[in-house]
Amino acid sequence: MNKTRSPATSKPGRHWWISRFALTIAACIGTTLLATPLLGHLDLANIVMLFLLTVLLVAVTLGRNAAVLASILSVLLFDIFFVEPRFSLAVDNIQYLVTFAVMLATALITGQLAAGLKQQAQEVRIREQRTQALYELARQLAGAPTLPQVRELTGHFVEMQLAAHAAILQPADQLEEDIAPSRAGEIVHVEPHLVRVALDSGQLVRSNAVGQLGLASLYVPLRTSQRTRGVLAIDFGDDVDFLEAETQSLLEALASLVAVAIERLHYVDIAQRTELTILSERLRSSILSALSHDLRTPLTALVGLADSLSLIKPPLPATALDTALAMHEQAARLAGLVGNLLDMARLNAGDVTLRREWQSLEEVIGSSIKLLGNALATHPVRVTLPPDLPLIEFDAILLERVFCNLLENAAKYAPGGTPIDIVASQSPDLVTVQVNDHGPGFPAAKRDELFNMFVRGTTETGKPGTGLGLAICRAIVEAHGGRIAADNTRGGGASVRFTLPKGLPPVVEDEKS
Amino acid sequence: MSTATPKVLLIEDEKQIRRFVRAALEEEGCQVVEAETMAQGLIEAGSRKPDLLVLDLGLPDGNGVDLIRDVRGWSDVPILILSARSQENDKIDALNAGADDYLTKPFAVGELRARVRALLRRSRRNSEAATPVIEFGNVVVDLSRRLVSRGGETVHLTPLEYRLLATLLGHPGRVLTQRNLLREIWGPSYVESSHYLRVYVGHLRQKLEDDPTQPQHFLTETGVGYRFQP
Repeated sequence: MNKTRSPATSKPGRHWWISRFALTIAACIGTTLLATPLLGHLDLANIVMLFLLTVLLVAVTLGRNAAVLASILSVLLFDIFFVEPRFSLAVDNIQYLVTFAVMLATALITGQLAAGLKQQAQEVRIREQRTQALYELARQLAGAPTLPQVRELTGHFVEMQLAAHAAILQPADQLEEDIAPSRAGEIVHVEPHLVRVALDSGQLVRSNAVGQLGLASLYVPLRTSQRTRGVLAIDFGDDVDFLEAETQSLLEALASLVAVAIERLHYVDIAQRTELTILSERLRSSILSALSHDLRTPLTALVGLADSLSLIKPPLPATALDTALAMHEQAARLAGLVGNLLDMARLNAGDVTLRREWQSLEEVIGSSIKLLGNALATHPVRVTLPPDLPLIEFDAILLERVFCNLLENAAKYAPGGTPIDIVASQSPDLVTVQVNDHGPGFPAAKRDELFNMFVRGTTETGKPGTGLGLAICRAIVEAHGGRIAADNTRGGGASVRFTLPKGLPPVVEDEKS
Repeated sequence: MSTATPKVLLIEDEKQIRRFVRAALEEEGCQVVEAETMAQGLIEAGSRKPDLLVLDLGLPDGNGVDLIRDVRGWSDVPILILSARSQENDKIDALNAGADDYLTKPFAVGELRARVRALLRRSRRNSEAATPVIEFGNVVVDLSRRLVSRGGETVHLTPLEYRLLATLLGHPGRVLTQRNLLREIWGPSYVESSHYLRVYVGHLRQKLEDDPTQPQHFLTETGVGYRFQP
């Protein structure tokens, strides 16, 4: 990058002007000295030409003000040294006044034009150089992998192009601090209130008064199509008054480049985090499925072997048969427990992926009852559903777990021969399902804890269980956006009630029949 | 197909599970061929021409679904899958690939024997002429005249309901996946619209089951599909 400070970007000093005027005066005197010996040989008209040439050269090299000075000086010197009477301002022939006027006018106009052209050329050069620098910055920002690097590149650019210090502030930064992160080893002091104003309004904020206190005087919002991603604070140091339109447009271009870079980093960050989540999800599910396979395989063998032992022909002696049946029952229970533990692990591991489909509650209740089979032999299930119950969006396998666990509990605690009632009702937004039994009910004191893991209604009963069933139910119901609660019925039986949101079921067109 | 002793190929890597499955199959009067790996299973399936294939989906040396596709390329032999509860997607893939039925581990020996019996009976019946009149419960379906009656009274079914009924009846005892049913009855663009299936199965149950909430014939295989149980 260009290390020199470009002239248009800094305020010219007093010395600069003195040396320009000295050079202008010297040029005019030089022309006079050069023309004096030629006085006898050349017409005065041609000497005027020499002076005009000098004015033109001064205008091109030293600028507009020098050109004005040279024009006046040239007319004076021409009058004094070349027009009769020489060495005096007086003029013999009045005609020369016209010459002076035309000479002055020509000198001024050509001088202005030449100086203007030069200034334009210079501006174009500066603009091009800035564009070049912006391109270069855009290229570097596009490859910048981290935010500190974006800060560093921005700081460097502002220093090189504007001889100022820059800092990038983001909404997440602590704005109460008046020190903003800038390039390494540099500190830009900012006015937090102005940062906030720029951030909220999305407009450039400028305060020379603040600049004179040694704080950054210019706050450019970093806007993207979606939102303001931060503020670029610029500290011009002593040159607080100096802000050309040119500089402002440069800063706006810079701000949009930085904003895009920050936005890109933001999305890169999101993408990386998402990928990480997917990876850990995949790892977790592969561990769980490996564990599940390793646990289930021996259990399947155990259940199957015990089962075939009890079915062997000719039948075993009574005691051996009892043992075989007991083994089968225990193995089956163990398999159930392992299933519950794995379910809980899967549900507890965080974001459960639901395989949601629009299904009928009637159907999942029916399949749960069928799945439990013999366990419900002495507890007839009575199902009461509203006739106009719509389809509900849920994961059928998980909801089947909920019903199985609730029905299993009811069958376990209610005395044989009593029915279990499943009752559903609907409101505009919710479907509420109750599973009621005619057993002893839940102990009042523990009702709220029941849905926690490893909590059991009555600890010392002979009933087998781990206290996972209701915890699994809660995890599943809550994953569906519903709620679950335990209560007792008026008759004293246990009642578990859960809700499911209704949503907007898809339309099934009526068939013309 | 051999008529006297049906031949069953059992592909399962766990020795103890093979042991009791074999015992159950032999109780059913089958001759059992065992294979420990997918590769061996494929060779045995080709060379022995079994009447039934019992396949564990969790084999270490490959994907059971590929084996099912291979076998389906040249044979209609009934295939029974053994799989764990957490493998719903594998199950569906296997059924879509052409497997006939599945058992979830751990399973009871009685259940296994019942499934094996049903599958063998079906393949035997397939070789006979299909009957146009099917009876289940108190329902009689005359496929040749498109008549359905329940307890002697005619039941009116819409065209789609009838097609669903006929499709289910065409595969007694067999699990039909949602996808297959939707494709068969509503067409390929409906394979994701499972709600149609739910609504129409509900209609069939209302019209043909004694207790629609606890159906005896049109059974739900949760997360997988439906099964008609005569």
